[in-house]
Amino acid sequence: MIELKNVTKEFKVGANDKVVALKDINLHVKEGEIVLLKGPSGSGKSTILSLIAALNKPTSGEVIVDGKRVSKLADNFTSLFRRENIGFIFQRYNLIPTLSAKENVIVPLIPSNPDSAWLNDRLKKLFTNFSLQTKMDVIVKNLSGGEQQRVAIARALINNPSIIIADEPTANLDKKLSLEFIEILKKLKNGKNSIIIASHDPLFFDLDFIDRQIDIHNGEIS
Amino acid sequence: MKSRFNTFLFDFSILSIFRRGSKNIFIFFVFTLLIFLLSSVLFISNSIKSELDTTLNALPDITVQRLQAGRAVNMPLSRVNKLLAIQGVKAVVPRVWGYYYFANAGVNFSIVGIDSFEDQYRDLYTKLCDKFDFDALKKNRSMLVGSGVKKILQNNFYGKYFNFIKPDGGLVKVKIAGVFKGDTKLESNDVIVLPAKKAREIFGIDKDKAVDFVLRIANPVEIPNIAAKITALYPDTRVITKEELSISYQNLFDYKGGLFLALFVISAFTFFMIIYDKASGVSSDEKREIGILKAVGWTIDDILKEKFYEAFIISFVSFVTALCLSIFYVYFLNAPLLKNVFIGYSNLKPAFDLPFSFDFQTFAIIFFLTVPIYIAATIIPSWRVASMDADEVMR
Repeated sequence: MIELKNVTKEFKVGANDKVVALKDINLHVKEGEIVLLKGPSGSGKSTILSLIAALNKPTSGEVIVDGKRVSKLADNFTSLFRRENIGFIFQRYNLIPTLSAKENVIVPLIPSNPDSAWLNDRLKKLFTNFSLQTKMDVIVKNLSGGEQQRVAIARALINNPSIIIADEPTANLDKKLSLEFIEILKKLKNGKNSIIIASHDPLFFDLDFIDRQIDIHNGEIS
Repeated sequence: MKSRFNTFLFDFSILSIFRRGSKNIFIFFVFTLLIFLLSSVLFISNSIKSELDTTLNALPDITVQRLQAGRAVNMPLSRVNKLLAIQGVKAVVPRVWGYYYFANAGVNFSIVGIDSFEDQYRDLYTKLCDKFDFDALKKNRSMLVGSGVKKILQNNFYGKYFNFIKPDGGLVKVKIAGVFKGDTKLESNDVIVLPAKKAREIFGIDKDKAVDFVLRIANPVEIPNIAAKITALYPDTRVITKEELSISYQNLFDYKGGLFLALFVISAFTFFMIIYDKASGVSSDEKREIGILKAVGWTIDDILKEKFYEAFIISFVSFVTALCLSIFYVYFLNAPLLKNVFIGYSNLKPAFDLPFSFDFQTFAIIFFLTVPIYIAATIIPSWRVASMDADEVMR
């Protein structure tokens, strides 16, 4: 379960100014639930995702994931938390452009020194699921946008995360590829994974497999 | 059981080196060049030190010259017995030597006269010379020359003989009986060894005179006392002790060492400038990559470990390459260009061959001055970036 308790997040702008990205947010996401955060650009959706993934810390309030106060964890523990629990699909994929598709997907597992046989098996499954078998050794900067996104999804799933986070996943895709992504997302719903999507793409608004939609405006849940 | 060493992380580091190939090749070349310069300078300095020790050990205990109007003039051989009579003097050797100016080539040859080429020295000559005609040597009509002398004479059409011009204008014809090997101490070009009799003729030195005397003293502690006795006995002489000569050699070597210290400082300065430049920041691409690694679950330790492998591989490979090149350059090629700093000084003639003197201390100095500094310069900025929130770094 994911819980945000009275979370406020401020960003410093220049020496004295600050921008309030989130104001006193309270949010609960149950295990296996798919939640869509919607709202215009700059409303605070991505900030909520960053806080849940412990990529950032709230200015005040608490973020609790599976009973763990992730907002209070020290830096190295937040990394371990992400490695073990989070699969993050970034808006601009955040792949390492000079690595191959396979190497990008392996990256999250490298620090755990995985068993080679297990890893090869896992890679084969993921690349087959995402129709990327022929693209394993292609440098990602040479892949199409849709292929890059599928690589990013495969990377997010390589460690079997309990929470999948997707930040504006269709922002850089055309309609066809966006629909493909939605199909993939649908397959990921298995009752165990919590999936949180932030998007202002209307394609997501009428999807029946999304359990809940939450509107964010000016850093507040409306 | 899982191996403790993370091969995936090590492979990733190697991959990263190749991914940033052009940048790392540039760093490798600069780093190799600078370590090469640093180590060459240190190796040459070590060789100077080693050569100095050898030279000092070979110096005579006392050298006696006669002065007239402040200039050195020839010593009468009649003084040998009086000097030998001084208690503690083991041997007195009159020397006949000097510089012969060969106008055609505009060079000076160093001529050393020796008493005779005797059979007992045949093995020594065999070691020192490439080819020599020992019979001609025995007949006291021949000479052994340095390779440089041989070359100069050949260029001036003196293939087998050379005609020395005496002070009275007459000629002394001497056969070239052998050439010193290039790799001996006497390689340095300008030495001619011939019978003392011929040397006297060439320089116009009377039979009963020598250029100077060198003395061997039984007890080194007695050297200053004996020097004082000689000065008292012959007030017209200049008595130079081994210690005084050592100081003069030491000054000379210090001067040469100083030149190399300057080179060393320049190389080191350039190295640290590059290191400073590297340490002052991480490129935006690298920053973003660190942010991505953190975002997907790498800890600061993982990132630093990866950066350590990268820096260690680059710097250690550069270090080993530069060290090998340096050893080859200094000890096999005999440091062309840099070695020129040493030649052309008459006191150093006839030899300055760089003797091999590699010690662990030099190795350690070069290693600790370069590899750990480069690793630190790579890791510190990466640590700064890795310590920030992943979100902030990626932005």
